[in-house]
Amino acid sequence: MKNRTIRVENLKKNYYLGKMKVEALRGISFEIDSGEFVSIMGPSGSGKSTLMHIIGCLDYPTGGKYYLVGEDVTKLDDNQLAIFRNQKIGFVFQQFNLLPRATNLKNVELPLIYAGITNARKREEIARKALEEVGLGDRIAHRPNEISGGQRQRVAIARALVNHPSIILADEPTGNLDSKTGLDIMKIIQKLYEEGNTIVLVTHEPEIARYARRIIHLKDGLIEQDEVVA
Amino acid sequence: MIIQGLKIALESLWANKMRSFLSMLGIVIGVGAVIAIVSVGSGSTESVTSNISELGSNMITISPRIMRGRFGQMSGVSSQDKFTVELANYMEEFCPSVSRVISTKQISGLFIYDDVNVNANLVGTEPYFREINNYQIGQGRFINDQDNQKRNQVIVLGSELATDLFENDNPVGQKVKVNYQGRIFMFQVVGVMKEKGGSMAGNLDNQAYIPLTIAMDRMTNSNYISSYIAQATSSQKAPQAVKELENFMVKFLDDEDQEQFRIMSQDELLDTVSSVTNTMSMMLGGIAAISLLVGGIGIMNIMLVSVTERTREIGIRKALGARNKNILFQFLMESLSLSSLGGIAGIGFGWIAAYFLSQYGNWPFVISGLSVILAFGFALFIGIFFGLYPAMKAAQMNPVDALRYE
Ligand SMILES: Nc1ncnc2c1ncn2[C@@H]1O[C@H](COP(=O)(O)OP(=O)(O)OP(=O)(O)O)[C@@H](O)[C@H]1O
Ligand SMILES: [Mg+2]
Repeated sequence: MKNRTIRVENLKKNYYLGKMKVEALRGISFEIDSGEFVSIMGPSGSGKSTLMHIIGCLDYPTGGKYYLVGEDVTKLDDNQLAIFRNQKIGFVFQQFNLLPRATNLKNVELPLIYAGITNARKREEIARKALEEVGLGDRIAHRPNEISGGQRQRVAIARALVNHPSIILADEPTGNLDSKTGLDIMKIIQKLYEEGNTIVLVTHEPEIARYARRIIHLKDGLIEQDEVVA
Repeated sequence: MIIQGLKIALESLWANKMRSFLSMLGIVIGVGAVIAIVSVGSGSTESVTSNISELGSNMITISPRIMRGRFGQMSGVSSQDKFTVELANYMEEFCPSVSRVISTKQISGLFIYDDVNVNANLVGTEPYFREINNYQIGQGRFINDQDNQKRNQVIVLGSELATDLFENDNPVGQKVKVNYQGRIFMFQVVGVMKEKGGSMAGNLDNQAYIPLTIAMDRMTNSNYISSYIAQATSSQKAPQAVKELENFMVKFLDDEDQEQFRIMSQDELLDTVSSVTNTMSMMLGGIAAISLLVGGIGIMNIMLVSVTERTREIGIRKALGARNKNILFQFLMESLSLSSLGGIAGIGFGWIAAYFLSQYGNWPFVISGLSVILAFGFALFIGIFFGLYPAMKAAQMNPVDALRYE
């Protein structure tokens, strides 16, 4: 049997705006194997980010099941979810989400701090290596506002990698970048995939989505199409 | 986790230096006030206490209580009549813990020397008055027994009065006139006392001393005195002496409720002083506590602002694996750092303030370790207490909402 990293069954998520119910996810099922590279596409409001948040253990689904590396996530409490986010998930956001006052090195160190690595020298060492991997070995002492957008996203990728997660979740990682810089970022993600990482990527742009070997199309909270790219 | 939390806290406080400083100010002032107030309280009490002890040796005064008058009439006059010079001898006889009792008669008159005239008190008294008050001669001599027996019209001046009357002249040997109720009495100055300052009997320095017999027989022509000054055989015996004197007076005046006389002792005075300073300290301490409380509310306010401002940071940290308790701890550490830094600054500030106040007020500079510990401990408590709510708010944020916050 294949090694399933993600399995969702009939996943539902409702939001309530006052008395109005918004059904962001209306029953989604799919599986993602270890080492897969999957893109999620769909129009605005189709539920892509909602799905990413649940997969990333940031939010609970309203209904359905979600297994991450065999563990039933819906049964975990806040504390265990935090540990999962720390150990199993690496996030890359559209808005980079770096701490503006911390240096790049400190930003990359954050997941290590919450992983309980108390030895500062060891943390720095690991964080520096991660930054070198994304080609930012010479920018470790800079702060996010002292580097370009593409470089910021590379810091975020280094931060996502640093705890060797089971899965890297990228929600429109190129959305705030010009197309050339976006392609640079995609090259790094491509490299990570080739190194054996499992990657889920949300995007609007078909040419970005095509980096993946599989594209899941969402519409109105449902899967419209689950296609394998040649 | 503790050191990490502390580091994160200090870094973010440093990033907002001005705001951190302002929010600390309440705590700084509160802690500083507690320390300064306690220091001033104990310093001034110490100095007053030692002053009182210097006043005289085991002194007890007995005086008639002026009773409420009716229709303009003094109703206490009849008992005042019983305060005679002879009574002093009976007190000595019937009160074993009392070694000596002397009488004083106090009147006021207009002193005239050359073209200077000064209103001042005259105290008719006995030679022992000087010893019992621990009062030193500056020049010449004090009233002696002979003066009293022979009714010599001699006078001894307190230092202040001497300067007022004679300025730079040497008073001893000079003659002063005293106008007492329209009659003029001539006195020869035989001595000037050293400066003494306050006493149970008021300021001794601006009075003059004459033989008791002159005051009683020649000037007022009355046979009751103003007050007795009794001396206990020892300071340990002083409370016992007070009791004996009370019993004696109650029986003598048939005055169970002690309405007609008043007994004051140094112990009592010390008690009064310490109760006054205690009340003062408590009052000021209350003000200081309120300022600490206000400081705490200031910290809470700033922390709430800081939590809201950093919602996104909280979201990021949570997305990277921070548990609720990590976030709680981070913000609690921040408020605790604020209040403890404020506390330390307050200790320094209070210390300096107390030092300058002690220089200014001329009392010993004492810092009580207990007040430092207490004030600092209270500041820490305030930091935790008022930091808890904002920190809990931060810890319980939903990560998705926090990440989406603009
Ligand atoms: N916190 C929320 N409260 C209420 N409704 C929400 C909330 N978050 C999302 N929604 C709604 O759920 C639906 C799905 O939103 P989601 O953010 O997942 O869309 P998306 O596919 O990521 O869109 P986009 O491409 O614009 O990022 C939308 O209709 C949205 O309005
Ligand atoms: Mg989205």
